[in-house]
Amino acid sequence: MALRANFSVLFASFKMRLMTITRYPGQLVMDIFIPIVFAYMPILLGRASGSNPAAVFAANTGTSNYIAYMLIGSSVFTLVNFAFWHVAYWLRWEQEAGTLEALYLVPTHRIWVVAGTALYSCLRGMFSALAAYVLGSIIFDVNPFQGEVLLALVFILVGLIPLYSLTLLYGALILKVKEANALVNLMQWGVSFFMGIFFPIAIFPPLLKVIALLFPPTWMTNGVRSALLGVGFFFKTWYLDLAVLWAFVLITPFFGYWVFNRTERSVRRNEGVGQF
Amino acid sequence: MTSPVRTVKLSKTYEVRARKGLFKSEKRSVEALKSITLEVNQGEVFGLLGPNGAGKTTLIKILTTLLLPTSGEAWINGYNVTQNENKVRASVGCMLMGERGLYWKLTGRENLEYFGALYHLDPSARRKRSNQIIELLKLGEIADRMVESYSSGQKMNLAFGKALINDAPLLVLDEPTNTLDLPSASELRSIVRQLNKQGKTVIYTTHIMSEAETLCDRVAIIDRGELLALGTVEELKTSLQREGITHIEGVIPARAEEAVRAIPSVLQATRTAQDGGALLTVVTASGREILPQLIEALTHSGAIIQKITPEELTLEDVFIAKTGRTLAEDTRIANK
Repeated sequence: MALRANFSVLFASFKMRLMTITRYPGQLVMDIFIPIVFAYMPILLGRASGSNPAAVFAANTGTSNYIAYMLIGSSVFTLVNFAFWHVAYWLRWEQEAGTLEALYLVPTHRIWVVAGTALYSCLRGMFSALAAYVLGSIIFDVNPFQGEVLLALVFILVGLIPLYSLTLLYGALILKVKEANALVNLMQWGVSFFMGIFFPIAIFPPLLKVIALLFPPTWMTNGVRSALLGVGFFFKTWYLDLAVLWAFVLITPFFGYWVFNRTERSVRRNEGVGQF
Repeated sequence: MTSPVRTVKLSKTYEVRARKGLFKSEKRSVEALKSITLEVNQGEVFGLLGPNGAGKTTLIKILTTLLLPTSGEAWINGYNVTQNENKVRASVGCMLMGERGLYWKLTGRENLEYFGALYHLDPSARRKRSNQIIELLKLGEIADRMVESYSSGQKMNLAFGKALINDAPLLVLDEPTNTLDLPSASELRSIVRQLNKQGKTVIYTTHIMSEAETLCDRVAIIDRGELLALGTVEELKTSLQREGITHIEGVIPARAEEAVRAIPSVLQATRTAQDGGALLTVVTASGREILPQLIEALTHSGAIIQKITPEELTLEDVFIAKTGRTLAEDTRIANK
């Protein structure tokens, strides 16, 4: 009964977010175009910087299809971006709207409300990322469904779990420091750099490479690129790379939940969740 | 029977940073609640009075599990607020943030149904309860409009409706008539009374004394984190009348004034001339209990009494006597 009631909360939270976004229809259209515009700049830069950008790119990345490479990078980044803005920023949004305290007055753990928000964010992100990837491929005249499409999807779906778990850590930070925009912006650029949206992390110095490999989105991006474009898995085979993502799945949700709960309690011990 | 609300030596200390210029700050402790012990009885409307920063919101936030106490304990409907948080939350209907606790991009009905879901009502129960609330608060015309288009008063009404969604036995209402016009405020108070008659216990904070006087069965006056007075409005007034003022008009000779002054509990007696007689203002240490003695002293000393007017006390007088200032004064604890 309790589990069923909690899933009902999850669904209600999902539905509430969905209803809210339908009241901003223009935003949904923008979601699709932003990743294309994002990928457009490095693609044009590549074309402008040499006589044969595809050959130079292939030498460094393992694929000459730099257009699809950029589009995949910006589409996966859309998922990361959505996760941080929709879930981590969600707390701040509720706080500023004055509804966060109302959520702490109900007999449901916030994690179920967050889960509903995450589900909404995942679906919106997946829709936008896929639409942007397909539309971008049509615009730039590349085949979007080359390689192993199903394997690419598996990497995305498995990678979403640790990604959303990481947003809980970030949500906890926002709950504590009460500032979201700068933090999410900083994280956005940091993660986009480390996950290698426009370049392979193989070109990083060793220390940066280790840091990059600690981010689940890095494994997601490379997994999708390897499945679709054959750029090469970090451990040479897809199942070992996927196993690393599964390891993140086993660790990050519990860690994220633990940190979030501790921060929540600490905030309630002092100023409360409503203060911003 | 379990008390709806019970607190024992409940205290709360905040760590705050006092800003000193652009970059410097100083850490300070502020005692927002100091060892509050009180009990709210089943089925009563319990008023919580205090100026801004008095500690009443802190107390309410602890009782509704939003804040953790620094020390002491509290129980809501028999559940400990720090150990059975979800049971406490399920058994309380809260209106704490006024119009701010609503989703403005949803309609009134969608808001009610969403919060119904968060209180674990199944979809049909949510719809039924939302309809009941919409009918009770006469929100039918605006229920399917987005909240952002509501007036401030309509938002307050919806926020009140949200507090009723889980049909809890205890209602905690923090200044629910703020921003309501007079007829709407009166309507809301009558609904509170109606819900109270149906068996709901209500904790009601307000800074409008007349509201507390007409609505509350018992009142607690809280200031600077301390519980200064607790009782029915009449009890609080009576306690103050120990230092009552009585005005006596008539023909009052000087010796009558002396006779009154000779009564041990009379603190002060002042005679002033009036058209065709005199006015004697008597300040006593024992309120109205002294009236028979006063009358006897006056009549035996040749006075002809035309009118006796004991000064009528209001809850505002009680508040001023207990706190040393009016409720309108802003006494934010942070600026203390």
